[in-house]
Amino acid sequence: MHTQDFPQLESIERIEQGFEALGYICSTKIATAVFLAFQLRKPVLVEGPPGVGKTELAKTCAELLSVPLIRLQCYEGLDEAKALYEWKYGKQLLYTQVLKEKLGDLLHGARGLAESVERLHQFGDIFFSEDFLEPRPLLKAMQQERGAILLIDEVDKSDYEFESLLLEILSDYQISIPEIGTVKARVSPMVFLTSNNSRDISDALKRRCLHLYIPFPTVELEERIVLSRVPDIDATLRHQLVAFVHSLRELDLKKAPAISETLDWARSLLLLHAGDLEEDLVRSTLNVLLKFEDDVQNAESGLGELLRAARSTP
Amino acid sequence: MQSAITGFIQLLRSHELRVSPAETLDAMAVATTLGYGDRARLRDGLALSLAKSAREEAILLRCFDQYFDKTLAGQADPAPEADPAAAPESPAPPQEEDATLLQEAAGEFPELGEALATPLLQQLLDNDRTELSLAMGQAAAASGLGNIRMFTQKGQYTRRMLDALGEDALRRAIIALEQADSPLLELLKGYSDNLREQVRDSVEREYLLQAEGHNRQFLDDILSRTRLNQLEQRYMDEVRELVRKMARKLAARHSRKPKVQKRGQLDMGRTLRRGIATDGVMFNTYWRKVRRDKPQILALCDVSGSVAAYAKFLLLFLYSLQDVLPRVRSFAFSSHLGEISELFREHPVEKAIELANWRYGGATDYGSSLEDFAELALNDINSSTTVIILGDARNNGGDPRLEIMQSVYQRARRVLWLNPESRRAWGSGDSEMLRYQSACHFAAECNNLQQLERIIDQLLRLNH
Ligand SMILES: Nc1ncnc2c1ncn2[C@@H]1O[C@H](COP(=O)(O)OP(=O)(O)O)[C@@H](O)[C@H]1O
Ligand SMILES: [Mg+2]
Repeated sequence: MHTQDFPQLESIERIEQGFEALGYICSTKIATAVFLAFQLRKPVLVEGPPGVGKTELAKTCAELLSVPLIRLQCYEGLDEAKALYEWKYGKQLLYTQVLKEKLGDLLHGARGLAESVERLHQFGDIFFSEDFLEPRPLLKAMQQERGAILLIDEVDKSDYEFESLLLEILSDYQISIPEIGTVKARVSPMVFLTSNNSRDISDALKRRCLHLYIPFPTVELEERIVLSRVPDIDATLRHQLVAFVHSLRELDLKKAPAISETLDWARSLLLLHAGDLEEDLVRSTLNVLLKFEDDVQNAESGLGELLRAARSTP
Repeated sequence: MQSAITGFIQLLRSHELRVSPAETLDAMAVATTLGYGDRARLRDGLALSLAKSAREEAILLRCFDQYFDKTLAGQADPAPEADPAAAPESPAPPQEEDATLLQEAAGEFPELGEALATPLLQQLLDNDRTELSLAMGQAAAASGLGNIRMFTQKGQYTRRMLDALGEDALRRAIIALEQADSPLLELLKGYSDNLREQVRDSVEREYLLQAEGHNRQFLDDILSRTRLNQLEQRYMDEVRELVRKMARKLAARHSRKPKVQKRGQLDMGRTLRRGIATDGVMFNTYWRKVRRDKPQILALCDVSGSVAAYAKFLLLFLYSLQDVLPRVRSFAFSSHLGEISELFREHPVEKAIELANWRYGGATDYGSSLEDFAELALNDINSSTTVIILGDARNNGGDPRLEIMQSVYQRARRVLWLNPESRRAWGSGDSEMLRYQSACHFAAECNNLQQLERIIDQLLRLNH
């Protein structure tokens, strides 16, 4: 995508402000990653625990630039037909039926089987033109007039083979379709890949990308996020609940609560008209924050202590 | 300033971060885009372009703090940090008094006059840190300070740095004052000591920068060639990292290209041709086949007492391999055998190895372990399967059940046996190795990490 078309991305400060206006509160590092990705035209591989805003980052970017967000959700077994393109075989079949008569004309006067086959081959070619092509996300992202945000979500869930395909495409933003030729992106999209680290991403793919690791946010940042997403919550309560979540993250948990859980919890507390972090209230809403029974028990055992600390944070 | 980036990358490499030439260019583009003015920003940008994991990022940030402190202050650097006017503590006022005193004595001591004519002493007297650090940077380059590796070289490099700075004039002046017992001696010595201290500091810093990285490489080198059973517990962390690195390297080298043409699609030509028989009506559709050629690895690891010292590392390697390569299934055995793939997936490495040892460790029975293996996996073995067995083949005289090995051998694409014992010991005493070997495509001695890596590398190369 061309720099002059998107003044929203002209400086790190503008990106931060633009994101904030859309409710996405980010660290300078995240804004720097977006800035560099745009300036240097490199994909960004975003890693970090679930729920820290990896997917949201790409969405917000698309919103900020008013370009389409094209998302490819990865899973085991994802292949080219689902990621790149597929032939519309239904349409192909339908057309062959409709054109059946033409077939007779075409073969008329052909000498011998070899020639018929030869002619049929030529005839067959028209069924492999763009009209019969069903673009999937990767191809679609390259066909957008003004560019696009291509989000390749949870790439760690795909197979290694798929990574090499991505690598090929991300190196020159073109796809070769044997029957048609090479399709080159009109405007190269801005690409975000996300990974929850369920396995290592291949070295080669990592090297193609800027590597952005999003950790859990600082207290200060998380309070701003809560303020932005749940603006109606009381300031003191906001402060305390974030402090409490941070102390939970210090515990040895199977799954530490992420930003999404903090927000869900803030919304629950708001709905329950909570004025303060009362122990009973926290106990009964702990399952909003913690998804494993073990973790809930773990937190409950020291709850009084944790809450006292959270309430008394300056 | 580009040289600052290449220098930084040099440093990263010595800390085992792999940086490709393309990434070097990226890093330079990043620095150009962000500028050197905002240190925190440059730091973020370099981390984004050069670190490939949270661990690498931590290393990079540490190196950045060490290196750019030095570079921003020490080398020709247009960044505002080096501008004395912008520096947080502005330099102390020139010690005019000292300068005047020395100047007055210069008539009496020609050596002192010469020293005062050098830029070095002027900088010291003016306390001009910018000029001084520039000079220090140049001296470092001239004396090849970047090559320092051993602590024994510190003295030597300090000397060379001082020479390159032109300290000899100062030295001669001090000797002259000393011989005349001049009251100015202490004054001049103070400046000289100050200089030496600064030089020693920068030598020390450079030594830490350079040697730390190289020592690591050295250690890895040694570790990868040491017999596994002799590796000490205290190196476990290093070994673990090393093994992970090897496994990742292998995986990167062997992640396969997709077979582009093999997607499942309508075979138009064939459909049309067959349609001729039915007057152009296409009753039957024909599809191109998706051929999935997914080699699979089944790895069996002996964790019995006789190989306990090796097993820990072999399991470690398997764990890492399973982590980076899809379709690796791992099994552990001694008196019986069980699959540990899940266990590897669910637990961190230390815990997983401990559990595998605990569940499957004990006295050896290759026969019944093979039975268990056949039951669990024989049906899944086909012409794209590679079976690796890690063990000493010492069966305490029990039935080796060679026929099971043979049927594995017939089904699999490749059967590979890695034995920690030296070849000479194969077949001696209760070792069934020679018999088992007849049912393997390849058997090798393997008792250090380097051999292990090499063998697995070959294996994967043969695999597709
Ligand atoms: N920096 C942020 N500012 C505002 N909201 C955020 C931020 N990070 C995460 N969120 C919220 O948290 C939720 C989870 O984020 P998501 O992008 O789905 O996480 P991930 O993709 O990392 O698993 C989203 O609903 C999003 O609104
Ligand atoms: Mg997500």
